[in-house]
Amino acid sequence: MTELIIFGLLAVLMLTGMPISIALGLTVLTFLYTLTQVPIDAVALKLFTGIEKFEIMAIPFFILAGNFLTHGGVAKRMIRFATSLVGHWHGGLGLGAVVACALFAAVSGSSPATVVAIGSILLPAMLKAGYPRRFGAGVVASSGALGILIPPSIVMVMYAVSTNSSIGALFMAGVIPGLVLASMLLFTTWYRAKKNGYPREPRATWGQRWKAFREAIWGLMLIIVVMGGIYSGLFTPTEAAAMSAVYAFIVVVFVYRDFSIRDVPKVLLASANMSAMLLYIITNAVLFSFLLTHENIPQQISDWLMTSGLGVVGFLLAVNILLLLMGNFMEPSSIILITAPILFPIAMALGIDPVHFGVMITVNMEIGMITPPVGLNLYVASGISKLGLTEMSIAVWPWLLTMLVFLMIVTYYPPLSLWLPRTLGMM
Amino acid sequence: MFMKILDHLEEIFISLLIGAATLITFTAVVHRYLASSNWIPSEAVQDWLIQLNLAWAQELTIILFVWMAKFGAAYGVRTGIHVGVDVLINQLSDRKRGVFIVIGLLAGAFFTGVIAVLGAHFVWENGAHYAWLTWRGLDVGDIPEGPTTPDLEWPTWIVYSAIPLGSSLMCFRFLQVTWSFLRTGELPHHDHGKVSGVEDEATPPKPGEDDRIYRMDDALHPHELKEPLLGEESKDADKEKRP
Repeated sequence: MTELIIFGLLAVLMLTGMPISIALGLTVLTFLYTLTQVPIDAVALKLFTGIEKFEIMAIPFFILAGNFLTHGGVAKRMIRFATSLVGHWHGGLGLGAVVACALFAAVSGSSPATVVAIGSILLPAMLKAGYPRRFGAGVVASSGALGILIPPSIVMVMYAVSTNSSIGALFMAGVIPGLVLASMLLFTTWYRAKKNGYPREPRATWGQRWKAFREAIWGLMLIIVVMGGIYSGLFTPTEAAAMSAVYAFIVVVFVYRDFSIRDVPKVLLASANMSAMLLYIITNAVLFSFLLTHENIPQQISDWLMTSGLGVVGFLLAVNILLLLMGNFMEPSSIILITAPILFPIAMALGIDPVHFGVMITVNMEIGMITPPVGLNLYVASGISKLGLTEMSIAVWPWLLTMLVFLMIVTYYPPLSLWLPRTLGMM
Repeated sequence: MFMKILDHLEEIFISLLIGAATLITFTAVVHRYLASSNWIPSEAVQDWLIQLNLAWAQELTIILFVWMAKFGAAYGVRTGIHVGVDVLINQLSDRKRGVFIVIGLLAGAFFTGVIAVLGAHFVWENGAHYAWLTWRGLDVGDIPEGPTTPDLEWPTWIVYSAIPLGSSLMCFRFLQVTWSFLRTGELPHHDHGKVSGVEDEATPPKPGEDDRIYRMDDALHPHELKEPLLGEESKDADKEKRP
């Protein structure tokens, strides 16, 4: 009964269109003042202590690093390097887009930012080379989703924070699924390009490839800073995020000179704005999860599901469907923060590995990014390509299908995610 | 005039906080690495590095970010960055959607107002009252001094005052946006889905435009109204609608 009231209230408040953070907060307040006796002071304290964790601070740092990197130089050189590798096959620039997105995803923790960085440079080039607008927009919008699967990933930090999982292990677990998904997207792109006879680029010589690699090395080094730093134990994930922000700043301002030092305050302000919005959702989601735990709701739902005889297979399927549906209406961070406190205890009771569960949820969020009506990647790509939202939704369908197949593989074949972190002894 | 100064102060404040937090964490990592490395030629430098204690860096970073989060959330109201579920209300007619938008904004003002009061009460009980009495040279009685933070040993009430201060500002911003929405029908995000400003060719966003990906005219934000809810035009529009 209690859980129905809580979730009903939250749903009604959210559907009025108010900010999700406010809907979460008001649900908690209403409930506390009318139905239960939690000391209100404890709530006020939670408001501060809710985000008083060093791990959460990885989010603003990764956002700052990402905002430094979106401005041309790093993305442009990654695209050149990627195209020199795969450009000579069918649909060369499209394949280049997938590889460039995968490379950029390894330095950026956000999907829409990956679409912006790669798409705004590559899409005009694709149109000039004679690719249909839909094909170009579709491949960029969907490969950009790799941004949150290939580490670093803001969505994974959100999951780790709300379930107390290890960020390092999650990041490592995203590597192989990320590479597999990139290969699958490459195959879909190649197949469609071959069928429709899209253009190919001249084959680059090994000398040209080496030159492109050397030019891209400053951006690629960031992969080693983040992943190498975390794996070797040199930094915690939050410190790695701060290092990558400073490194990105040095590269774009002093090495590639994408913008002058006078622009830095603007980047700081935009990053503070984005991070504060996400941190504010976290604060209120922590309150919400505090309320759920106080009312013992995750435990009750978990017990009920265990007695109903829903097995691991059925549960994972149900979770996938639930998350895909929510992905149509909400933004990924909020979905994770609201659902994880409920789903995680059940997954644990069923003996599902927390890291595997996290990777699966991340893939769900990726798909949510390219499904209408709420798909940030679709909106960003529509802004770049000037295609309407409906056309964008049609443009991504071949890659969307690929991702759904990939989701099934990730869900029911845990070693895909777990092998690497286990082999490296991170879990 | 006063509003412009407040706006600028708010922007400078949160930019400084995120910048400072980054530099502090960076310095602490570099320091830890150098102090434990064995390739620093001068022993004196090494000793100096080792005796520098940066254990407080982590705590300070958290405090800076909490302040940034509270004041940044207020700035976010002004820039329209807070995301919601607006799929449904965007299907409604302008007038009905306008009502829902106002309800949402006032709900925001109400929630942040309540939190500001709760937070102020909490801060007062946990040291601010004591500090006030001591400062005035009055008898403190059995009013508690309040706890301090573990590493920096700052009074927590100063640190926690981010809640009442930030929430009050946020409440004010919600009311401000409500007022301008009632009069103009406009909401504080005017990017209309365009990430780049150039018409023919997409270009990478200019520095400082990155937050646009969360400020688009998409299903995470309500659409604006063609006619404001209050004012001359809206009365005319009403008359036209009536048979």
